[in-house]
Amino acid sequence: MTDADTNGGNTERERVSVPDEVELPRLLDFYELQTEDQTQIHEFYENLRDGQLTTTQCTDCEAIHFPPRIVCPKCTSDDLEYVDLPHEGELFAFSEVRGGLPMGLSEHDVPYVVGVVDLGPVRLSGRVDDAAYSDLEIGDPVSLKIVEIDGPTDEERVFYRFEPQDGDSR
Amino acid sequence: MIVAASARNVAIVGGGTSEWGERDATWKDLAQEGGKATFDAVPGVGPDDIEGLFVGTVQPERFAYQSHVAPMVAELLGIEVTEMTARTELACASGQAALRYAWLAIAAGQLDTALVLGVEKMNLGREHMPEMQASMANVLDREFDGVNGLSAPPFFAWYAQRHMHEHGTTREQLSLVAAKNKSHAANTDFAQYRSEIDPEDVTESPKIAPPLHLYDCSGITDGATGVILMSEEKAREVTDTAAWITGSGQSSMAGNSINNLPSFSGWPQARKASQNAYEQAGIEDPLEEIDIAEVHDCFSISEIIEYEELGFCERGEGGQFIEDGRSQIDGDVAVNTRGGLLGCGHPLGATGVSQALEVTRQFNGDVESDRQVDDPTTGLIHNLSGSGSVHSVMVLDRDPQ
Repeated sequence: MTDADTNGGNTERERVSVPDEVELPRLLDFYELQTEDQTQIHEFYENLRDGQLTTTQCTDCEAIHFPPRIVCPKCTSDDLEYVDLPHEGELFAFSEVRGGLPMGLSEHDVPYVVGVVDLGPVRLSGRVDDAAYSDLEIGDPVSLKIVEIDGPTDEERVFYRFEPQDGDSR
Repeated sequence: MIVAASARNVAIVGGGTSEWGERDATWKDLAQEGGKATFDAVPGVGPDDIEGLFVGTVQPERFAYQSHVAPMVAELLGIEVTEMTARTELACASGQAALRYAWLAIAAGQLDTALVLGVEKMNLGREHMPEMQASMANVLDREFDGVNGLSAPPFFAWYAQRHMHEHGTTREQLSLVAAKNKSHAANTDFAQYRSEIDPEDVTESPKIAPPLHLYDCSGITDGATGVILMSEEKAREVTDTAAWITGSGQSSMAGNSINNLPSFSGWPQARKASQNAYEQAGIEDPLEEIDIAEVHDCFSISEIIEYEELGFCERGEGGQFIEDGRSQIDGDVAVNTRGGLLGCGHPLGATGVSQALEVTRQFNGDVESDRQVDDPTTGLIHNLSGSGSVHSVMVLDRDPQ
């Protein structure tokens, strides 16, 4: 071997670099990109931005879906329309996350409550704000709230959460 | 379910495992360790004999920044695949999915000898735990469920809460499951957690997602485990003590997101998958006929529900089943003798493979005597995956049918 091969001598090694930060697609922050040029269920997000939780219903077989779709899983029709969902429901199950947050949500405060809310036509998962685990019981009434998502995209994104109806929790 | 009359008998002839835990090793290191351990454990079978290679792994893209891993494993282990190869991904059941494909390929006569290797690298350093948690939350519907910060502990906590609410299952009964399995792992040399614990230790551990405590949860685990499957003709050439695959079932019910799951206190998919597998295996009374069951105890509550859905007891009686000691090693059915996911840890793609290896080694009388079941002849492995939306069950027997 020569000195150049082992760098044992005076030859200076060439340096290569990697970026200090790697910008990843916004997909990795969990919240979907919500506009018409990005998702075909943009109407769901537009309705939510306007203050109404909606979902799709099949105009052929009348099945109500959640999450919203572009194809009916019951009859494969793509003739769907958006219908309003109730904003009040009952807590069906819940727990409280006290650590181990996923990347992309790691700026959220722990602990937080996450539960299953029964709205009647559909049963969905959601954060339950302004309540601690010990405040809550199965069957408690909860109401929908809509949050705006601050983030690095130009797009204004929104999502739904829930909160206790009696307002006296915590 | 129709099993073709021409289907051939398929045997697991043996296998081996890497150490499991927080390993100072890469995904590729683990794959090599698991592969070597497998070939070392099966005299008479080497890389030259392998015609099909099935690699069970869930998220090498996120955990190891690597895709197309099956040919990578083939290269690392010197395997010239001549018939069939793929990586299988079915979240926490990826290992069993790989077993199932290998079984079907051999049963259908496409090949005679396959390596099934499960590999997962999950520990990226404590400071990168949020990345691992993100990858795990994505096994749920990310847009509508993962987005709510719904990781595995709160999701399974709902099932514990609902099971307690509907059936009167107690916190103590959850602790009995965790203590049983973690204590079994004290007798398993590759396990991540090798300490005996008491039920009281479970409720003294941090309450991370009430009603679940830390010790109700399986681990974040690096590990690799392999087994070799062979047609009957080939298997007879290398061993007299194989584990024969006599039935395999899977069920999903067009439900994956929260609104579309059939239950929050039970898993009818597990009932359906096991009934399919039992029918193929000719099992009429699972509690009577199954001697050893390796079931998916990702959380303590899971095992209680699985007693019910796999037909060991009635719905709602799973808590009483553990309280009465019926799932102990000397009970009616020995459940999770190697320590389960709670004791061994859960390197996602390797778990189902490790369960099958445990049953195979139990049949051979080849495990630590403290966890050896008395002369087992029929065994079962079970995995759930993601939001519990898929359940996979495989029945193994000391004799082919």
